[in-house]
Amino acid sequence: MSPIPALLVLAALVVIAAVAGVVWRARDGRRRRGSDVVDLTDLGVTPGRVTLVQFGTETCARCPQVRRMLQGIASALPTVDHVDVDLTHRADLARAHRVLGTPTTFLIGSDAVLVARFNGVPRRADVEAALSELPLLQEAS
Amino acid sequence: MTETAPATPRGIDPRAPRFAAWITSVLLLVATFLGLIGIGGSRFDPAFVLTVVIALLFLWSVLSPTTSPWSVLFRRVVRPRLAPPTDLEDPRPPRFAQGVGLFVVGGGLLLHVLGVPLALPIATAMAFVAAFLNAAFGFCLGCELYLLLQRAGVLGRGPRAA
Repeated sequence: MSPIPALLVLAALVVIAAVAGVVWRARDGRRRRGSDVVDLTDLGVTPGRVTLVQFGTETCARCPQVRRMLQGIASALPTVDHVDVDLTHRADLARAHRVLGTPTTFLIGSDAVLVARFNGVPRRADVEAALSELPLLQEAS
Repeated sequence: MTETAPATPRGIDPRAPRFAAWITSVLLLVATFLGLIGIGGSRFDPAFVLTVVIALLFLWSVLSPTTSPWSVLFRRVVRPRLAPPTDLEDPRPPRFAQGVGLFVVGGGLLLHVLGVPLALPIATAMAFVAAFLNAAFGFCLGCELYLLLQRAGVLGRGPRAA
């Protein structure tokens, strides 16, 4: 290939990568609503408690920042727990909860119903908004 | 399941892997360019040589992340000019991603030597996209592959003996 078409291919490559990055950033951490009952086996969730379950692995670069944020939210609310589930050696849990990437965060209500699911890094305001919809917390406040 | 994270290795400045990813992106882009203009030419052309160098740099980062050239360059030259990091990051994810980079580029080199046309520019282009996403957006594609590889049964199979 001569240099000019090769440079055009490179330019296309940079554009594709940049568009992929912008699309990914826009979709990342967006809240998805749920209504399924979550199987709490092996998640470390105390039944009857509102819990933020965060799935991570040893190779998850963005999990520590999410852990700090969720711990901050949970520690300020006495009725909310934060649980960290390491999937590094638990392919079974990743499959059971359909976790395809990390971090993934579940907000599980006291009735074990999945209230919200965040794939990627959730925004703090979105997590707090999802929590505020829970009846238990409205009574407490 | 564990409520707290297992003992993690000493943290690294999160800007170090991003800095290295910029350099890697540029090298991979140059390698892709050389690979494209060298199509049909000699098998051991400049693109091949540069890709071997890139593969060796990936290997170095996997074996000894703290002594790899870009990591040393960051610590000696770049970091003293920046504000101290606000928090430190786990060094394992970027190291795993370097391994994924080595696998992709190494595979490209192998297929190229075996005579598969376009293997080299395609491999370096794929690695470029991953490195660029990491550098520009902080998105570690290699790190994200872990769960998919696990699902495919390549890594971390079965529950760890409790």
